[in-house]
Amino acid sequence: MLSIRKLWNVVRRTHMDDDLKQELETHLALIEEEGRARGLSVDEARQEARVRFGNPLAYRERALDEVIAMWIADTWKDVIFAARRLVRSPAFTLASVLTLALAIGANASIFAVVQRVVRNPLPYPDSDRLIDVDHGAQRLNLPSGMGMTRGLYYQYLSRAHTLDGIALYASDAVTLTGNGDPERIRVTRATTTLAPVMRVRPVVGRWFTDAEGVPGAPHVAVLAYGLWVRRYGRDPGILGRPVTLAGVPTEVIGVMPASFAFPDPRTDVWIAEPIERSMGFGIWTFRGVARLRDGVTAGDARAELNGLIGDLSRAYPGDPHALGNGEQIKLFAAPRTLKEMILGDVARGLWILLASVGLVLLVACANVANLFLVRSEARQREVAVRIALGAGRLGIARYFLAESVLLSITGGAIGLALAWGAVRLLVTIGPTNLPRLVEVHLDGVAVAYTLALSALAALVFGAIPLWRGTPLAASLHESGRGNTASRGRHRVRQLLMGGQVALALVLLVASGLILRSFQKLRAVDPGFDASSALTFSLGLPDRNYPNRATVVVTHQAILDQLSTLPGVTAVSASTCLPLAGGCFGNTVVVEGRAVPPGAVPPIALFRAVAGGYFEAMGIRVLRGRGITRRDVERREPAVVVNEAFAERFFPNQNPVGEHVSSNRAPARAGEAPRFTWLTIVGIVSNTPTMALAEPNPAAQLYMPMSIAGGPDFPVSSLVGPNISVMSYVVRSTTTRSGLLPSLRRAIDDVDPQLAVAQVRTLQDTLDLASAQMTFMMILLAIAAGVALTLGVIGIYGVMSYIVTQRTGEIGVRLALGAEPASVARMIVRQGALVALTGTAIGLATALAGSRLIESLLYGVSSRDVGVFATTALMLLTVALFACWLPARRAARLDPLQALRAD
Amino acid sequence: MPKHSNDRLQGTLDLLILKILNRGGPLHGYAIAQRIHLITDDSLRIEEGSLYPALQRMTTGKWLRAQWGTTDTGRKARFYTITPAGRRQLHQEERRWLSLTKAVEKALRFA
Repeated sequence: MLSIRKLWNVVRRTHMDDDLKQELETHLALIEEEGRARGLSVDEARQEARVRFGNPLAYRERALDEVIAMWIADTWKDVIFAARRLVRSPAFTLASVLTLALAIGANASIFAVVQRVVRNPLPYPDSDRLIDVDHGAQRLNLPSGMGMTRGLYYQYLSRAHTLDGIALYASDAVTLTGNGDPERIRVTRATTTLAPVMRVRPVVGRWFTDAEGVPGAPHVAVLAYGLWVRRYGRDPGILGRPVTLAGVPTEVIGVMPASFAFPDPRTDVWIAEPIERSMGFGIWTFRGVARLRDGVTAGDARAELNGLIGDLSRAYPGDPHALGNGEQIKLFAAPRTLKEMILGDVARGLWILLASVGLVLLVACANVANLFLVRSEARQREVAVRIALGAGRLGIARYFLAESVLLSITGGAIGLALAWGAVRLLVTIGPTNLPRLVEVHLDGVAVAYTLALSALAALVFGAIPLWRGTPLAASLHESGRGNTASRGRHRVRQLLMGGQVALALVLLVASGLILRSFQKLRAVDPGFDASSALTFSLGLPDRNYPNRATVVVTHQAILDQLSTLPGVTAVSASTCLPLAGGCFGNTVVVEGRAVPPGAVPPIALFRAVAGGYFEAMGIRVLRGRGITRRDVERREPAVVVNEAFAERFFPNQNPVGEHVSSNRAPARAGEAPRFTWLTIVGIVSNTPTMALAEPNPAAQLYMPMSIAGGPDFPVSSLVGPNISVMSYVVRSTTTRSGLLPSLRRAIDDVDPQLAVAQVRTLQDTLDLASAQMTFMMILLAIAAGVALTLGVIGIYGVMSYIVTQRTGEIGVRLALGAEPASVARMIVRQGALVALTGTAIGLATALAGSRLIESLLYGVSSRDVGVFATTALMLLTVALFACWLPARRAARLDPLQALRAD
Repeated sequence: MPKHSNDRLQGTLDLLILKILNRGGPLHGYAIAQRIHLITDDSLRIEEGSLYPALQRMTTGKWLRAQWGTTDTGRKARFYTITPAGRRQLHQEERRWLSLTKAVEKALRFA
């Protein structure tokens, strides 16, 4: 047995081995002395000693083996006896094992999530060296979030010494056709440097060569593992085969490993972005990722990149974008670690959850410790007898620890089984923005953590009866009469009970605060009507729909088809739905207002819509009118703005009738730019763009789709968003599943090649927006619920025990004429005092600690009086009830029986 | 767990050690070996080192008590004495041994 060998090595280093060595040496020396006395030479005597004694080393080892064997046998005997004792008291065993299993299971499952998601969110080598190369601009009041441009990429690529590689990337949704149904997939366009920067290689085929990342290079693509499995059944023959991406035949050259999910797990395909230095500074359409050179800090990189930004106008002489971006807006580099970018607030939330289930474990330990105390007191006699018979302190410790270790191992094993189920549940209900959530499982580390927790739990509650058991020798003669329980005995008990109350309250307050935030968040008016509306996105490939006119006609044809479907009450489309992000933004010019030179005009988000969009979405028109089908057909330069737009650009004015335009650069340097003026015809309510609760709603501008951008309009012309891809909204009285087939048929009537993507109800979108808070709320509520339940059981247990202990005393009181009600009051008062103290400590702790979860709250102060008062009251009520039950039993005692009970 | 090639020998050795220490003690390992040679007329051929695993085990099992002292020639040695538990064990073993040898004797005579 390997473990014995190891144990032996430990023992070998102890004094036991030194003693043995000394003893054997003496023996050998004595044999030699005897030989010398018989007249043998030194060598002969030594030789004889060797023969008579045998190999001293072997005997030394065997002697130690004997000792270890006995230890193991003794321990095993203890364990067997402990198991028998536990089986004989099934109620105690079941209660403790279940309590521990719940707490340990909760800890193991949250730990599994934390360890995968937080500790190691990026499955790339040396991932802590990876940074998100982001930028901010002082003049635009943007601390970060601008992303990257081509010009900055070349500037950093060729000149930054702090970086060991940098890549650009941007994600898009495109239609994949060929080999099955057309499908909307997510494509990440990246520079060929992406895989080398991440240090990941394809599992099949190869990554792009540098020559494939320049304009005019053949179209090649690398597939994500998921798409390869889903659509091509892991067929390695996919390499070299052409697929059609957004109407362009593209050759598949490789498949990335399943763990490579960059920038997010939704990416299906990577294609090489064709760029070269001569394309100029460019616009902010990319994000950047870079690897720090060894020994370089993020601060060093920030300093160097900012230096390089100062040199931009020299690197791109005469490039108006480089000029405009560098000096004018006071651009600066805002790099942060990739881990920080991906995890954000999620990490904090998970750590808080881990801490809260840790508290649950403490409550559980306190509970089991209390049960143990009851047990150890019940067997004080037995222990006292053992001590009297010469059992050492170690023997007594082993007696109790064997029980607690057995309980916690069983609890840990059941807890692991629970955690296995819980982790699977978490993976299903968890928010999709948790990185690597799908990979979460109970791995070796999580199991080891659980085992360590179980061992710790065993020590904690196993040691309490021991610590308490110091004056055990005295208890032999004391245990005969027991009308009153000693004060010291109850003090430990009450300490545990108070601690439970305090811990439970901390968890209750935390989950109460999150619950209030959740309520507030759900009560936020999203500005649109989320009920019974289905949305989906639909893209018209540029190859078949090459200009804006055909795109408008096709969208309108599909809308007309959809509106004839049974049950459909309203239908429209927009380039960007609420909560779908910024989509398209530009600076806005107001007619008649000169923009001071050097100042940057404010930004608004532009959306192109079909007629009747506000009616279909349920967005309220507050003033003027909405955009109609007539506007679309006649290409009216009419726009509708939201309240935020009106407030920002026309404070205290009526903007209806005013003219605004999307800003644009002059056609030729030195000339004044020519604006397309648009007339504001109405104001609508604000809708959220990124998150449900936005402190500063974005200014938005809606225009008829027929005057926005199309495939034949370069992005730089900046009329409005490209309308090739639109999000449709269908309001209907039919269910989603009933609507979908007829919806698909209606689209097929126009073009069967079109892919329908992101089908969801507006309600889904709303739910998704609060998914992370829902997730936190559910888990915290479960933790708080378990802690509360365990705490109440604990209080009940302690009070019941106290009543049992005081049965004699209560009998005397009742016999002497005490009112049953006053007896009950006495018991409740005793419990209430502890509960009140616990509540006070809990409130203080929660007050000090609630700031930790401030960033997770919405619309609620971390010191919300209502939440603190409600939870404290609730806990006190439940605690008093748990005290009252045993108290009532005490009041109903028959004095005669009570006195006889001992 | 370590198993000895000869369980019977181990039992015999335990019995001999207990018997010797019951008659007089405290004795150190060398002295116990001398006594074994003496009372068995050197007929029980064992390596003297094999005493130590047995002594160690019986000490851990509380049949013997060990104390450090010095020999006549001034060497540091551990001296063993038998405990009450050891004495009970000795009586039990003696009875078992006698009944076993009697049974074997009988078997040998009639077989």
